[in-house]
Amino acid sequence: MKQLSRLMTTMLPVLACLALMAGTTEGLAQEAGAPAASAPVAVTSEAPAAAAAVPAPPKIDSGDTTWVLVSTALVLAMTAPGLALFYGGMVRSKNALGTIMQSFIILCLISIQWVLWGYSLAFGPDKGHVIGGLEWLGLNGVGLEPNADYAATIPHQAFMIFQMMFAVITPALITGAFAERMKFGSFLVFTLLWSTLIYDPLAHWVWAVGGWVRNMGALDFAGGTVVHISSGASALACAIVLRKRLGYGKEHMMPHNLPMTVLGASLLWFGWFGFNAGSAVASGALATSAFVATNTATAAAALAWMAVEWMYRGKPTVLGAASGAVAGLVAITPASGFVGPMSSILIGLGAGIFCYLAVLWKAKCGYDDALDVVGIHGVGGIWGALATGLFASKAINAAGADGLFYGNPAQFGIQAVTVLVSVGFAFVGTLVILKLIGTMMPLCVKEEEERMGLDLSQHDERAYS
Amino acid sequence: MTMATVILGALAFGTGSVVMAQDASAIAGGAAPVLKIDTGDTAWVLMSSALVLAMTMPGLALFYGGLVRSKNILGTIMHSLIILCLVSLIWIFFGYSLAFGPDKGGVIGGLDWIGLSGVGSDPHPVYGPTIPHQVFMLFQLMFAAITPALITGAFAERMRFSALLLFAALWSVVIYTPVAHWIWGGGWLGKMGALDFAGGAVVHISSGVSALVCAIVLGKRKGYGTDYMAPHNLPFTLLGTGLLWFGWFGFNAGSALGANGVAGSAFLATHAAGATGALVWMCTEWMHRGKPTVLGVASGAVAGLATVTPGAGYVGPMSAIAIGAFAGVLCYFAVVWKGRMGYDDSLDVVGIHGVGGVFGILATGLFASKAVNAAGADGLFYGNAAQFGIQAVMVVAVAAFSVVGTWLILKVVDASVGLRISPEDESTGLDLSQHDERAYS
Repeated sequence: MKQLSRLMTTMLPVLACLALMAGTTEGLAQEAGAPAASAPVAVTSEAPAAAAAVPAPPKIDSGDTTWVLVSTALVLAMTAPGLALFYGGMVRSKNALGTIMQSFIILCLISIQWVLWGYSLAFGPDKGHVIGGLEWLGLNGVGLEPNADYAATIPHQAFMIFQMMFAVITPALITGAFAERMKFGSFLVFTLLWSTLIYDPLAHWVWAVGGWVRNMGALDFAGGTVVHISSGASALACAIVLRKRLGYGKEHMMPHNLPMTVLGASLLWFGWFGFNAGSAVASGALATSAFVATNTATAAAALAWMAVEWMYRGKPTVLGAASGAVAGLVAITPASGFVGPMSSILIGLGAGIFCYLAVLWKAKCGYDDALDVVGIHGVGGIWGALATGLFASKAINAAGADGLFYGNPAQFGIQAVTVLVSVGFAFVGTLVILKLIGTMMPLCVKEEEERMGLDLSQHDERAYS
Repeated sequence: MTMATVILGALAFGTGSVVMAQDASAIAGGAAPVLKIDTGDTAWVLMSSALVLAMTMPGLALFYGGLVRSKNILGTIMHSLIILCLVSLIWIFFGYSLAFGPDKGGVIGGLDWIGLSGVGSDPHPVYGPTIPHQVFMLFQLMFAAITPALITGAFAERMRFSALLLFAALWSVVIYTPVAHWIWGGGWLGKMGALDFAGGAVVHISSGVSALVCAIVLGKRKGYGTDYMAPHNLPFTLLGTGLLWFGWFGFNAGSALGANGVAGSAFLATHAAGATGALVWMCTEWMHRGKPTVLGVASGAVAGLATVTPGAGYVGPMSAIAIGAFAGVLCYFAVVWKGRMGYDDSLDVVGIHGVGGVFGILATGLFASKAVNAAGADGLFYGNAAQFGIQAVMVVAVAAFSVVGTWLILKVVDASVGLRISPEDESTGLDLSQHDERAYS
């Protein structure tokens, strides 16, 4: 009975919420969305009002569509298996499955959330510059015709699913902050609320047509603010609100399988090409430039982290090189489509050095950000957003803007405002969500469950036998 | 520590010195481009670049990492990881210019493209007329990164980390860039008509032959031949093999530089040779040793993939199967014979990449057919005996250059930082002695 009631208090609200949304939107979506898919010509006059704004009917380009579809698959590979193994290798062996499960189930949960209401809230028709309308609930009206506002040469659904993978990985990044101690049910509720209340509005502000941060002229090519600052700032809130792990600071908590972590980091690097170069939402010169910037910044950041650690600690570690690579990837994300290869080396160097120092200082601050989400995604994201305001150049991307070093100090100011807004919103919003959940159910597992490990206590299975 | 200072200094200096030149050059060209970018071709080569990255990290890193003892896995993975980072930057600063820049006397590229100056989004008429020039540069960067990483298998479990960094940087500049220029960058072998579709000579012969020199110069591992040195995690090695196979589609089919018929044909030839190599190695080992091993199947697949690399875009599927079959047998016996030769090529780079690369280049001179790729040439079996001769010249030239160059580089590295870790550190393992961390806790 106790099991059942616990199940009901945790899983049922989540499922009920999903089911309710599915029920109410299914009919509409099925009728309007699906026929638009199978016979686009027949319904062009009524369904995609947004696409009809362009005089000539937008034409789907097979090369662009191929690149965005492949990029979508690449970004999926970042969450599972990439991030799942990156985090999974860093925890103790008794928590490996629980950690992997968090990324895996977020992939499932947010995929459904995004289809039902997330995409509409984030990218739907603008309401007062702060949120998308409910017109696209259940992908109603999001068909195979291109939407020229977002990507004129690929089906609207390709853009939607590419964005879905971003919505998925962002809450998964946060899980590193509360690793080894969060209760699975509370984690599910947190994820659903966080996605809906933090991610969707923030994505709207920064990327959607009409969003106020976008209107201000902020540059975020592939998600430095929306993905990395938001997850990093929220991770800090999580690490502060949730208690520290038992024995934190006293016991050894060495990563149980570093090769697994490096495997995850490599898959993140691989998938990040889709994340950044795919954000051109077309194949061609801009995707290429973003791809080159991504690889270059990553290499520079890994080398910089390694060199700083070598000087500071006396040995270059493999975990350091892998963390440096991820820090470089994070930092170049907002800038990737606006900067050239030499600027990306400098952004990578900064990322390696700043994030290394941030991770080092964590110990002095006293919060238990178990897998360094704040130090890497928070600090790397902030550096990247500001660096975009320094290094961006219209010579690289005419649709962007010049940064401070190219004679436009105002851009740096805009980037700084964006950083403050996203840090503030994500941090405060996450605190409120956690306090709210805390009044209904415990956030952390019981102490004996934590000692047993998440694998056995939350999932009743073992990683290794 | 000194090494770390050198790295940071070099990065800052290199960036500073070219930062101005570069950012102006990435401008989408002022004059109207004559060549038009094709989105499908660009998508395919971008994807292929990502696939080749996955061959180095995590593919090769896990392939090698699983083969060493558990005390050395992180050190082994680190070799691939840091070579990827190091060569990425070298390539952008000046490696690409040396390899593919405007030809100087058939032996090396000029410095005109230093810091990617002039390498922008306009297609280059030779290096992919339908893709941005930077895509070609990027795709080639991934090749430049994996080649020195392949060599690391020869000196696994015993090289000093700072020596590895210095060796990889020097080898990449002194050996890789000229060889790439000779064959692909408009150099003398290319002008002679040498066929190397995706790097049989540039990647596999150069790394395989250099691996032999490394194994001889560094000497055997402590306890080689007496201690038990079995692979510590074969599932890792198999995962690495799977990722190499996956990534090799980008390596070979991506070398068509477009999503076209040659890419399709190269993709098929790659897959057919990989599968045949695995099966034939398995059968040979089964007959010769009595049991088919999983490591054998993995090695056979890699041997087949390495061997078909130079011919992938020039041969049909039946020829690819024949090439894969020979690869399985020849590389198997090369690995078996290593035991008698006495050098400690720890992870069989010579037997697989060296022997596979040499045979692959020669086989291209036998099986190449203009019916498959009109831009190629006919081989001996299609009535053009001269092609086989040209291929043989390429083998000799690349092998000889790699032997001499690698030997010299190793001597320089040994004199400056010392090649090998101390015997005590070797007993402790690379992970703790070089990186102060453990793989498993």
